Amino acid sequence: MKKFLCLFAVSILLVILGACTSGSKADLVVTSFTDELQEPIDRFEELHDVTVDLQIIPTENYTTTLRPALESGKGAPDVFTGEIVYLKDWIEQDYWENLSADPYNVDEWEDDYMEYVWDLGKNDAGEVRAVSWQTTPGGIYYRRSIAEEVLGTDDPYEIGEMFSTMDGLMEVGEKMKEHNYRLFPDEGSIQPFTNGQDPQPWVNENNELVMTEARLSYFDYAKELRDKQYTALAPAWSPAWYESFVGPISYNVGWDELDEVDEDADKTEVFAVALPTWGLNSVLKAEAPETSGDWGVTSGPTPYFQGGTWIGVYKDSENKDLAWEFIQMLVHDEEFLTEWVTETTGDVLSYLPVTSKISEDYSEEYLGGQNHYKFFLEEAQKIDSSTITKYDQQIGDLFGTEVGNYVEGNVTKEEALQEFYNQVKNAYPDIVVPE
Amino acid sequence: MAKTHRKAYLFIAPFVIVFLIFNIYPIFLTFYYSLTNYSGMGGIANAEFIGIANYARLITDAYFYEAFLNTIKIWGFNFIVQMLIALGLALLFSDIRLKLKGVGVFRALFYLPNIITIASVAILFNILLDWNHGALNQLLLSFGFIDSPINWLNSPTYAQSAVALIGAWMWFGNSFIILLAGISGISRDYYEAALIDGANWWKSFTNITLPQLKPILLYVLITSIIGGLQLFDLPMLLTDTRGAPQGSLNTMVLYLYNQAFKYNNFGYGATLAYGLFIITVLFSAVTFRAMYRKEVR
Repeated sequence: MKKFLCLFAVSILLVILGACTSGSKADLVVTSFTDELQEPIDRFEELHDVTVDLQIIPTENYTTTLRPALESGKGAPDVFTGEIVYLKDWIEQDYWENLSADPYNVDEWEDDYMEYVWDLGKNDAGEVRAVSWQTTPGGIYYRRSIAEEVLGTDDPYEIGEMFSTMDGLMEVGEKMKEHNYRLFPDEGSIQPFTNGQDPQPWVNENNELVMTEARLSYFDYAKELRDKQYTALAPAWSPAWYESFVGPISYNVGWDELDEVDEDADKTEVFAVALPTWGLNSVLKAEAPETSGDWGVTSGPTPYFQGGTWIGVYKDSENKDLAWEFIQMLVHDEEFLTEWVTETTGDVLSYLPVTSKISEDYSEEYLGGQNHYKFFLEEAQKIDSSTITKYDQQIGDLFGTEVGNYVEGNVTKEEALQEFYNQVKNAYPDIVVPE
Repeated sequence: MAKTHRKAYLFIAPFVIVFLIFNIYPIFLTFYYSLTNYSGMGGIANAEFIGIANYARLITDAYFYEAFLNTIKIWGFNFIVQMLIALGLALLFSDIRLKLKGVGVFRALFYLPNIITIASVAILFNILLDWNHGALNQLLLSFGFIDSPINWLNSPTYAQSAVALIGAWMWFGNSFIILLAGISGISRDYYEAALIDGANWWKSFTNITLPQLKPILLYVLITSIIGGLQLFDLPMLLTDTRGAPQGSLNTMVLYLYNQAFKYNNFGYGATLAYGLFIITVLFSAVTFRAMYRKEVR
């Protein structure tokens, strides 16, 4: 009996320790934070008669889950993606294989890709560590029916003209308000255009935080949008924000209570929203199928981009050949890419031989038949990667939060700015903030 | 006679080995991290050893003190509300004169909020508490309690209260079960004796129930403190993951998380973990002392 118990204890021990070392047995492991690679993977499995395991880690946990694996080399995938948010950090680490070296030699491809997309995949030493199939410039999506009613036209070019300056935006905002529409769901929609007036990196080569007049103007423009009631008080990514793309949403700020207004007074409808390429698929089409065909997209006062996913081969992968085959198909295979875009995703690609062909006669039903492909490609050409730093996302978020506090009336502009500097200093002690 | 059964070690070995690998080793490794400027990337070997610089920063870090106060405020409010509800219900259901039926059903019902994942709870309340479009404001507006919607999650006071109340809602069922068990364990004889002596309800509550329940109350208090100091998920998910509005939901663990994983200050994150550890030990020590004193008396 005793012997049996000993055996039992030992076997429990082995089971516990053994659990630490089991692994999956696919030919290739791909890790990403969305399922958008599922289709290319299905296709790849067919073509090469292999099994590929797509491991999806939700965005919120992506870096915290994947990074330890990359650091230690235990349980790392063969291929993994990285978002612009931490891309600049990751390409400086030895996580992805150097694709500029043999046998990849991707430098030859450079001219075939959207410039800023290609440049962002290079580390400080000029080595390409990650490549991307997509390009993610932004624009302003707007409702055609409302444009027709209020502005007398729904033509993207004409509306782009009206939107071409900050004052122009505000004028449209005023007209919208007169008809009980709101220009934007929230004040955040204007942030990319304030910074775009004078593009500067958030942190310069001397490690100083760069605060420009253009950036400061976000305070005033956001306040103006709020005070003049040009927004629908639906913060980005909130349920109300999504709802605002479908139809009228409730709007009751208390100031219209005196007159016995008509039924709709506590409802309002949103005219436009600033979103990048992927906003079409993952926000509008997904959340607002009801308004399909009633949308158009045009340019704002300045070009901008938001988001973007890069992909590369893990440096210690044991299946580098297959991994590289997969990446080549995903970013450099004309036939596959053409099919993928035209038949399913509609994603705007960065591989020019395909994009130039597709953009000739593309028509997006959701956007009332507009050729948004051509539009976004033109916008993407205007993006300058030299002002992009690894801090952009976090510092931009911290700044947006403080502007929000100012707009809400919780703090003064000076207090908000000081708190922003404190926050930056706290998050990145090495950065020198203005006095 | 005491003979050492060596084989017994074999039985505790699984736990001890797992404990050493997954608890003790990380605790020491975290301490080492806290003495470096490790960013979480590029290997710990390449990080610079900076001695106690992180600890020097910790004791002068206004955001850390803010996070500590936020945590205490939210936990305190949550605990008071939670205990009032739980104790009230426990008394109600254990009252010998009322003899309420269906204790089992209610016990399960009260416990339900606790088994909803916190992410769902956060989404639920985000929708309910939305400024212009949320159900709560719509309800208050239609009843005429307020003239214009209140931006709940944008006001530090309301946001902290919201987190505290959501916490109370989630945990009162748990406390209720424990307190009910505690009250059921008190001998009926005391109450009958008190009744004969002419004690009213309040007298028997303050002189019998409360003193007899003290160990249970302390148990609930300690587990609640330890859990409360680690408050993280709800504040993170309810607003912008950074503790908005105005840093009022910035709790100690949330601050640690942001420093370590968002801003890549892994070394300082480790230091914050030790700061949190010391605070937890202090709080537990104080409450344990209170409990111990009671027992020797």
